[in-house]
Amino acid sequence: MDAALGAGATYADARAVVRRSQAVATKNGRVENVTDLETEGIGVRVLVGGAWGFACDRRLVAEGARDAALRACAFALAAAGRGAKGLAPPAATSGTYRTPVEKDPFTVSLSEKVDLCVRAEEALRHPDVKVTEAFVRAQRENKVLVTSDGAEIEQEVVETGGGIDALAAGDGGFQMRSYPSAHGGSSAQGGWEYVENLGLEREAPRVAEQAAALLRADVCPPGVTTVVIDAEQMELQVHESVGHPIELDRVYGSEASYAGTSFLKPGDLGSLRYGSDKMNITADSTTPGGLGTFGFDDEGVPARREPIVVEGVLRNFLTSRETAERLGAGEGGSMRADGWNRMPLIRMTNLHLEPGEGSFEDLLADVDDGIYLETNKSWSIDDKRLNFQFGTQIAWEITKGKLGRMLRDATYTGITPKFWGSLDAVAGPEAWHLQGLTNCGKGQPGQGAHVSHGASPCRFRGVQVGVKA
Amino acid sequence: MSDDAREIASRVLRAVDGGDAEAHVLCERSGLERFASSEVHQPTLIENCVVTLRVIRDGKIGTASTNRIDDTGLKQLAQRAAEAADSAVAEEGFPGLPDPQPLPEVDGYDEAVAAIGPEDQAKHARAAIEASPDIGQFGFFTSGVTDLAIVSSAGVEAHQSMTDATTLVVSADDGSSGYATQTSWSAGGVDPASVGREAAEKAGRTRDAKTIAPAPYRAVLEPYAFADLINYFGYDAFGANGLLEERSYLAGRLGEKIMDEKVSISDDALDPRGLPKRFDFEGVPKQRVQLIENGVARGVVWDRTSAARAGDGHETTGHAPPPVYRQYGPLTFALAVDGGEVDSIEELCELVGDGIYVTRLHYLGIVDPREGVITGMTRDGTFRIRDGKIAEPLVNLRFTVSVPQMLEDVPGLGREQQLVNSSDFYGERYPTGALVPAIATARFNITGVGSAPGL
Repeated sequence: MDAALGAGATYADARAVVRRSQAVATKNGRVENVTDLETEGIGVRVLVGGAWGFACDRRLVAEGARDAALRACAFALAAAGRGAKGLAPPAATSGTYRTPVEKDPFTVSLSEKVDLCVRAEEALRHPDVKVTEAFVRAQRENKVLVTSDGAEIEQEVVETGGGIDALAAGDGGFQMRSYPSAHGGSSAQGGWEYVENLGLEREAPRVAEQAAALLRADVCPPGVTTVVIDAEQMELQVHESVGHPIELDRVYGSEASYAGTSFLKPGDLGSLRYGSDKMNITADSTTPGGLGTFGFDDEGVPARREPIVVEGVLRNFLTSRETAERLGAGEGGSMRADGWNRMPLIRMTNLHLEPGEGSFEDLLADVDDGIYLETNKSWSIDDKRLNFQFGTQIAWEITKGKLGRMLRDATYTGITPKFWGSLDAVAGPEAWHLQGLTNCGKGQPGQGAHVSHGASPCRFRGVQVGVKA
Repeated sequence: MSDDAREIASRVLRAVDGGDAEAHVLCERSGLERFASSEVHQPTLIENCVVTLRVIRDGKIGTASTNRIDDTGLKQLAQRAAEAADSAVAEEGFPGLPDPQPLPEVDGYDEAVAAIGPEDQAKHARAAIEASPDIGQFGFFTSGVTDLAIVSSAGVEAHQSMTDATTLVVSADDGSSGYATQTSWSAGGVDPASVGREAAEKAGRTRDAKTIAPAPYRAVLEPYAFADLINYFGYDAFGANGLLEERSYLAGRLGEKIMDEKVSISDDALDPRGLPKRFDFEGVPKQRVQLIENGVARGVVWDRTSAARAGDGHETTGHAPPPVYRQYGPLTFALAVDGGEVDSIEELCELVGDGIYVTRLHYLGIVDPREGVITGMTRDGTFRIRDGKIAEPLVNLRFTVSVPQMLEDVPGLGREQQLVNSSDFYGERYPTGALVPAIATARFNITGVGSAPGL
């Protein structure tokens, strides 16, 4: 910090990060992966003459920190285009945060992790299942942030997760079922107790049976119909069609060259109808167990819970101190960097669809003819986050309020505000479910982010399903 | 590059106490000057060295990594890798570490790129921005040096220094957007100002975009779009694991004609026009692999593990992935689609006659890997083709296509292949790209309509 300010920075922050992660994966009875990774370093972000600069150094010593600061300042001075930049007032001066952990995942031996995967995978065995996979992960990140505003913050974030996949193949077909989620299972902030409570071994026979049954299921027919969507797929729907468009850096065009922009405009705040009055979205970086939970973001702004969409109307964006100042609303609080060698960006914290009322069965009861969709299989959405298309691993017909035959290769598509406008029921708190994903990408150079979403199953009317190539 | 990857790798091996071992050291020095609305907003300088150690004890394999390259850090790395190995279960049929083999000499390093410093990176970004002052420029200039060394207790000593540079620009305002990018390992292969001009020129033609009805259309895809599509198709279709696990399009179809005879696809990391590589992540020499030949499915890429599991005479083709991605199996990092006999984009449009023109794709998703079905959006330059000429601009369109079906009837392929960067610079820098021409197809299935181009 001293080096940056001495080199002309009007603002600077520095993050020293030490991250350790372990991963175990087994596949078809073989141990595919036993890894123990660590990385550490310091990243320094500076504002010099109205231009940002960022540099980093893997050496966690004074020389490395100074070098990073001076290179960041030199890079900022060389930058093209610069305008006056204001930052929303700082809120934090000092603080600490630690993930509550019952069982430190790094005291659980890799052998125990391998054993858990092997047992879960054995329970996936089925004559039609060609590939069985089980995987677990653990990560601990220690981070110290200091800013030229005077913040000094120390945090320790611990994550764990796991999952199983069954891939069935036969007669030229291929189907997959996953638990507790597709694309790498589910993760949470917490200790090894989270993985133990997932019940991977317990759920495996059902997962395998459904993968095999899908080989003989009928294809989801095309049409416009009522859909009921499970909590897990709803969480991805929230992520893609609400979480990314409300990132204020996207609204201002900062991601135009890669992840895209947003259909939202700054002036939409407080007036844009995002969806039906059943739609209530909350950003909450205090959610117990959430991957987007922290004490302070990477600008030192304290964690908070704030409404984003209230009864279908847009009430807040996700902001940084710079974008909040530009908008004249918000205080920041969503800046997160992927490790020590990337700049903080506006990232989702934990973004939830608030529960409604009633049960999953109540959602079905009011459907004469429709489709129930469960577990994501594929996803795609346009650069403004309007036109989306999702596929799910499994679906069922809904006939006169009851689940009927199983269907495969289901897809649904829509336009974001119209789709959310067709939301006519959200199941209640008993059906609300929190899930953590670890594959959210943004930025150039690319950065991964870990984020959790909570949702209950939902019902939508008049949705296009069964898109074909 | 101040750190010597070879020297670090040798020190790692000396720290290993018992068992076979393979050390990978990847050192990166890079800068990425990112800009939006013609102003630099996210400039990132990175220097890092990541050491990954794979230890094999009694057939059990464990992997650890660190970026602490002092003796203490490397000693602890060796301990963690050994503990990981001891925790694993012995892998039946594990082929062991490869013996050293002669490695091909390749291009891929240019001292002029290696010499590009932060001030030069800023200057190149400025050139891309100032190429078109009348519209907002969004994108980046990046250059970097990557030094990769692999050494093993079996005697492998593989090393390569690589350079790469990329300029990418989206020119955009409310209601218009255009895209261009260039990638090369040599300084002469990237001209930021020309990228900035190309994107702006394209954007200028996209205002007042019209809509069309979803339906199958004939289409011309620029190399940017075609490269993206082929890379996504290749993730599942061209690796051995997808074949062995019966989940890829090529499973059960090798030897069959699955595409137009004009289509030939290979993976060729030795091609100097690409981003050349000498060896894979086991230190095995890279080979050119014919994947599709005149429309006939010929093969996939292999590493030693997948070849051993296949057990029917297959051998590695030099496509082992980085150790932490080994569970995904062998990967294509250098896809190449042969050029055709069509000299220009204009002639490809004439072959299409009536259809659509696609510059770039966005957010692809694999809907059905077994049938090669991919969905995504067009972006930053979609046009109608009428009477064989590019006509009015179109809004962004959702497509859902079976890639083999799209390539069943190909009226023509461009003669010139273009290198398209396929790295988004996640994780450690390892430059990859695809060499593809523009293509005309008789069937590009539009399944939805999106928003107008622009911000």
